[in-house]
Amino acid sequence: MLAAGLVLAAAVALSVSAFVVRARFLVALLRAAPAVDRSNHVPVRVRNEATIVLGQRKLLQRLGPGLAHAFIFWGFVVLLPTILIAMIGIVDKRSTLPWLGHQGWYALLDDVFAVLVLCGVLAALWIRKVQRPPRFEGSHLGEADLILALIATIATTLLLWHATRIALGLNEWPRQWSPVSNALSHLFARDSATRVLERAFVWTHVLTILAFLAYLPRSKHLHILTAVANVWFGATGPGGRLEPLRFDDPDVPEDQLRFGSGTIADLNFKEVLDTYSCTECGRCQDACPAFATGKLLSPKLVIMGLRDQLLAQDSAPLVPGAVPEDSVWDCVTCGACVQACPVSIEHVDQIIDLRRHLVMVDASFPAEAEPMLRDVERASNPWGKPQSERADWAAGLGVDVLEPGVPAPEYLYWVGCAPSFDERARTAAVSTAKLLKAAGVDFAILGPRESCTGDPARRIGNEYVFQAFAEQNVATLNAAGATKIVTGCPHCFNTLANEYPDFGGAYEVIHHSELLAELVRDGRLEPTSAGGRTITYHDSCYLARHNDVSASPRELVSAVGRPVEMARSGKSTFCCGAGGAHMWMEERGKPINAERVREAAATGADTLAVACPFCTVMLDDGVQTTGAELEVVDVATLLAEAIPDGSPPPVSESRG
Amino acid sequence: MKILVAVKRVPLTGGKIVLTEDERAISTRHLGFTISPHEECAAEEAVRLVEQHGGSSTVLTLGPPEAAEQLRDMMAIGIDGGSHLVTSGEEWDPQATAAAIAEAVRSEPEPYDLLLFGNESADAANYQVAIRVAYALGLPSVTGVKGVAVADGRVRCEQEVAGGRDVYELPLPAVVTVKEGLNLPRYPSVPGRLRAKRKPIETRTPARPEPRLEMVRLKLPPSSGNRVEVLGHGPEAAPAVVDVLQGLGVI
Amino acid sequence: MVLVFIENPGDELSQQALVFARALGEEVQAVSIDAGYAPAAWASSIAEVISRRGPSAVIAPGTDRGNELLAHVAARLDLPMAANCTSVTPGDPATVTRVRWGGSLLEEALVHGSPLLLTAAPHAVAAEPVGVEISTLTPSLDGALGVIEHQRATVAGVSLADASVVVSGGRGVGSAEGFAPIEELAALLGAAVGCSRAVTSAGWRPHADQVGQTGTKISPEIYIACGISGATQHMAGAKGAKKILAINPDAEASIFASADYAVIGDLHQVVPAISEEIRKARAR
Repeated sequence: MLAAGLVLAAAVALSVSAFVVRARFLVALLRAAPAVDRSNHVPVRVRNEATIVLGQRKLLQRLGPGLAHAFIFWGFVVLLPTILIAMIGIVDKRSTLPWLGHQGWYALLDDVFAVLVLCGVLAALWIRKVQRPPRFEGSHLGEADLILALIATIATTLLLWHATRIALGLNEWPRQWSPVSNALSHLFARDSATRVLERAFVWTHVLTILAFLAYLPRSKHLHILTAVANVWFGATGPGGRLEPLRFDDPDVPEDQLRFGSGTIADLNFKEVLDTYSCTECGRCQDACPAFATGKLLSPKLVIMGLRDQLLAQDSAPLVPGAVPEDSVWDCVTCGACVQACPVSIEHVDQIIDLRRHLVMVDASFPAEAEPMLRDVERASNPWGKPQSERADWAAGLGVDVLEPGVPAPEYLYWVGCAPSFDERARTAAVSTAKLLKAAGVDFAILGPRESCTGDPARRIGNEYVFQAFAEQNVATLNAAGATKIVTGCPHCFNTLANEYPDFGGAYEVIHHSELLAELVRDGRLEPTSAGGRTITYHDSCYLARHNDVSASPRELVSAVGRPVEMARSGKSTFCCGAGGAHMWMEERGKPINAERVREAAATGADTLAVACPFCTVMLDDGVQTTGAELEVVDVATLLAEAIPDGSPPPVSESRG
Repeated sequence: MKILVAVKRVPLTGGKIVLTEDERAISTRHLGFTISPHEECAAEEAVRLVEQHGGSSTVLTLGPPEAAEQLRDMMAIGIDGGSHLVTSGEEWDPQATAAAIAEAVRSEPEPYDLLLFGNESADAANYQVAIRVAYALGLPSVTGVKGVAVADGRVRCEQEVAGGRDVYELPLPAVVTVKEGLNLPRYPSVPGRLRAKRKPIETRTPARPEPRLEMVRLKLPPSSGNRVEVLGHGPEAAPAVVDVLQGLGVI
Repeated sequence: MVLVFIENPGDELSQQALVFARALGEEVQAVSIDAGYAPAAWASSIAEVISRRGPSAVIAPGTDRGNELLAHVAARLDLPMAANCTSVTPGDPATVTRVRWGGSLLEEALVHGSPLLLTAAPHAVAAEPVGVEISTLTPSLDGALGVIEHQRATVAGVSLADASVVVSGGRGVGSAEGFAPIEELAALLGAAVGCSRAVTSAGWRPHADQVGQTGTKISPEIYIACGISGATQHMAGAKGAKKILAINPDAEASIFASADYAVIGDLHQVVPAISEEIRKARAR
């Protein structure tokens, strides 16, 4: 008994110290990382722990693999006390954990969950060995196999240990409570061989667990500890918000300012924790529109690359050391990866931080995007159009242009650069203005005082230019006393609603589809059910996924035509290809917009409804390249067509 | 080597130009400001030459107080210091401009080795300020350069002409005007922009002499603002197209 | 008497300078210089002619060299000079109209100085034969700073960014092969061939040929856009063009809102017809 105790103590000490050595290294890296403030929204964080961790909500987005994982995870939680019970059993086979060791119901749970864990392991093996989904491409497959083998060993030895104990009459719990172990016990006689086996099973069980503990922080299985923290510290607000950088912190000397992620020393606390938490499951990669269209980017490989360089303590530049440069630029910031991630990794923030360093420090980015950056900064819009022409689209519509010093009416209509200047995107603004007038909504536009929100500069990585625009626009909006803002551009929407609060601007922001749907609901706009359009609605990432607006546009679609849905819709939408400043970059390889248009055409719809000026342009381009028989129309224009006096006039011809 | 780059703040006109009420300036109420692409190339070249040969670069402008913004822009890409000849915003003719610049250059304790200008300003396009500065300072000059190399106290300049490039070689100090295409100006880094905020700008306020090329008023060319002229439908329009091309001197 | 500097006898812009000079209503004399190009030495020789013949005005063509040479003369004599004039009214002071902002704006100005130094904006007046004898100067270039070497262009053709004429094709071209008539027209005009983003996306032409915000920004005298709809991102690259001629079958195409000249029709018929017409014009 003493010898067993000593051996066990030695094994535990070995395993724990192996764990602690590695854990201290990992914790030291975390402590050295620049801080991110995630102390707010505690109730939301508690709820996330309950749903995402305990409830396995994100994993269960894919039912089969989700259940397999959930069985293993729940089994792990339920079976935790058995580690103690087994250790006590090693030291003294006639002792057990007080109270719990004697409970029949707990023995039942042990049995049930050990079996569920084995089922989970078998399902996982079937997925990995037979199905071989592409999402595992590039993941460490051998490591996963080893972990599955360890888990299978732990669960099997637990059942067999219990079986031999029942056979030997050592069970402290009523045997009928553990049906599986009881059934297995008939394999064993009450003899010395079984007594040896009983020792062998419990030792194997415990030593496997201890080996697992030592291996844990050196493998992707670290996530069983870090995911809990990562979910806690995960972003709680709308998905579209990026963490701002600070350039004016009086406590930070200028030469120590952080301009995104250049080397591992720049990765912030959450970014380091992200890399610890990645399980290489590839759900992000599966959801990624860039990966789906053959680009180099895999969000999974980005996180893995960062982790490998971080753990190797390699201080070379992260790009291209950890992440190839093309991957950084392939991202459309649609957030599908973040949504898919079961452990709340923020891939988009990681990629934007890489971009920030490339753009702001190295001035290195796709050359074709430079005119956009310069035009945003100099001309206040991404195409370098004169600000004086910003309100030209509204000529003859009787739209009020808010002059300085005049307080804003109920709604400030933030038009956005694309609807102001792009002839295809303009129609939606004209329709919206006509509808708001028809419904008697009190609104005005800023005209030449409206400027780019800074979104394209921010998404390509120029946080500095973005913040200049954020401050300027917030000053303009606050001076006008704007409280309610309606906008037709989901990118402006996201910036105004989710990012300007970081710069002192707090507004109630709604998308034009929401306001128009409300006006229809209230009977202030009465569509005379229009022609027999069959309409499929394409959700904009920045509306549906990042801001949860997907019902209102559909209300409008239903009010004017026959809706049909694409498979990828709502929060699971598929990007048009323009996000993340891709409107101003050249796409390499298979175009995303064509892929999406084909999906839309397959629904049999004749109309592809949109609610975003960039989706309008991208998908219209896609319709033209694919030759699909689809008309791309904004929901506002669809509604305007169905209102007798709301139809949009032809776009005014102005010289560009 | 010590290099001076002269730049001019001009409004960023993107589309139709609107004039002020007195027709003596462009209405800039909603416009951003910039410098000409030639001058951006000149500044980039100055930064590159200092990177290659050591020394320092200064950006000079004659313009209103707001033109300090353009000096900072150029310091953000690596120009070391600024010299601002502050005006009250009215137009200076080329002779007055050149005299003020020459005076500023002369008062510099350590002389410049190279004075870079844009081939012509984006707005007034008088094509002469740099040459006048060169005469005032007794320096050699070459204009419209698209290739610059400095070695052994001389600057070799390449000028694009029909069928190739003419090459000049000038002893330093010299005045060189450059054209867009000389190089690709770099995009300013943020650390560069932050550093630019702390770099020194020397200001002086020269007196504006009576203009000898005196702007009376600006006007829009007769063709601007017109609707598109439809030359015809289908192949029958070809003769009308050729007439237009001949009128523009491209045939 | 008005003295006109002839950069190149027989050259169209020099001819235009002669026609322009007649507006001053005085006798026109012409000089050209037969020596290697050396602006300061050339200017000194012109200054010497000025002091000898006493013209009331000196006019040069508004070319790179015309402007440079006259600026040297002006600096040397400390006289005002007006570059790229489209008209002149004699008087004391004389009144000129000159080109600013690359042609998007005109300036009316008074020139206080004599002789009057002007360059004539290209194509402000049409060239026509002016019966003026050109006297040739042969200044000594001893020690003068001038061209020491001429490098011939090694690559044939003209770059998109620098071209003074650009002929572009858009989605309406239909295929990579469809660019043949556009290339033919470009060759006739010494123009660069461009295209829209749709064309590079379709893989018909390389990205280097793309005119647009994410491609090359162009600034030709005339931009001939064939089968191009005129998307904002494309026009952002073409806004430097002084004139735009759009050829498109769709009379509602947004490019017509930015164009100066329009031909409504299929480029596959219109472009070959223009090429044919140019050949005919050249044959005349």
